[in-house]
Amino acid sequence: MKKLGAFGAFGCVAIIVGVALVVGLALGLMVMGTYNSLVSLDQTVEAQWAQVENVYQRRADLVPNLVETVKGAAAFEKETFTAVTEARSRVGQISGEALEGVMRDPEAFARFEQAQGALSSALNRLMVVMEQYPDLKATANFRDLQAQLEGTENRITVERMRFNETARAFNTKRMSFPTVVIAGFFGERFREKPYFKAQEGADTAPLVKF
Amino acid sequence: MAAVSLVFSAAQSRAFEPPPDPTRWVTDNAGLLSNAARATLDAHLEAYERQTGHQIVVWIDRTTGDVPIEDFAVRAFEKWGVGRKGRDDGLVLFIFSEDRRARIEVGYDLEDRVPDAAASRVIREVLAPRLQAGDADGGVSAAVDALLAAIGEESGSVPERAPQFGLGQIILFALIGLAFLVLLVTNPSLALYLLFSILSGGRGGGGFSGGGGFSGGGGFSGGGGRSGGGGASGSW
Repeated sequence: MKKLGAFGAFGCVAIIVGVALVVGLALGLMVMGTYNSLVSLDQTVEAQWAQVENVYQRRADLVPNLVETVKGAAAFEKETFTAVTEARSRVGQISGEALEGVMRDPEAFARFEQAQGALSSALNRLMVVMEQYPDLKATANFRDLQAQLEGTENRITVERMRFNETARAFNTKRMSFPTVVIAGFFGERFREKPYFKAQEGADTAPLVKF
Repeated sequence: MAAVSLVFSAAQSRAFEPPPDPTRWVTDNAGLLSNAARATLDAHLEAYERQTGHQIVVWIDRTTGDVPIEDFAVRAFEKWGVGRKGRDDGLVLFIFSEDRRARIEVGYDLEDRVPDAAASRVIREVLAPRLQAGDADGGVSAAVDALLAAIGEESGSVPERAPQFGLGQIILFALIGLAFLVLLVTNPSLALYLLFSILSGGRGGGGFSGGGGFSGGGGFSGGGGRSGGGGASGSW
């Protein structure tokens, strides 16, 4: 009886250890799989963020050229130029900070978006003001610049939209069960991604009073 | 003006479903072009793709509806996958006859060769004046010629069309053949059915993905290229 009990206890332990091993292995595999898929989604968001930065940088690079071109034709629109140049330099300051960090920090993200939005408004106002200068509008140089600016703004819209799509894919995965538990183990590593909001500054800007 | 359309595009982008993939290089749903001009241009672009690997597509329709043309273009481009995957060297000329709007959407890789200003100039100076004058055939083909000239041919790396088998593929085919022989012995009817369906499927399939425009295969088929909103729009 006693012997049997000992054997039973041994068997029990063996079974428990076996079950624990299998469960542990299964859990380990699950955590690994979840971690890897989060990493890959995270990489997609990072890559898309780089794309967003690119197109914003492209616009920032365009501004000096644009201002230079229109300055001569409309020298007395000083305020408009100053607004653009100031907004441009604020964007430059933000870009001076570690940009990779912007996406991880919601406050920095909001600052980034706000600065870019201000530049959008200032540029829009500039283009609306320029509409009053037919001589300028007729020059090939100005029209090329206008096409470049429109193209750049369109690229920004596209890359922001794609960023939101990748961020949404990441967040959906991250917030769903059981990923949300596993993501929690890794703390800040898998923080929820912020979204770009609809460009609010841009739609009010063209309503300039003359 | 750009700003207004941007706001709309943000709002509209969710609901909009782009049209199905084009089957030819030139699609004219608005009857803007004459049949002869459409066929000539189509053959030209098909040959151009075979020569250079670049997929250049012309899409003509009546209207985009409520959707801004920029939004329509980028969504359609994305869905059709114009240009080769990983190279993103496609380009689409969109023309909407009732909207009187046109857009050149440029794949990522061609942005250097067809910058926005150049695309804008093609619409402004080549396409729009002729459409205004009622010469759609001349306008569209002149616009395409101007775009092809801008892209140039120097990247003319002919895409790998002829199948080249490495050792791995030969082994794979050998294994598949072996498996088929085993199946033929154990279950002849299933084996014959599989053989039949593979053969007929292969023949009917036509379009060859991963580059499209397979010479014998018939229609256009996108290669998985992407665009990022580069190019230009214009009206006439």
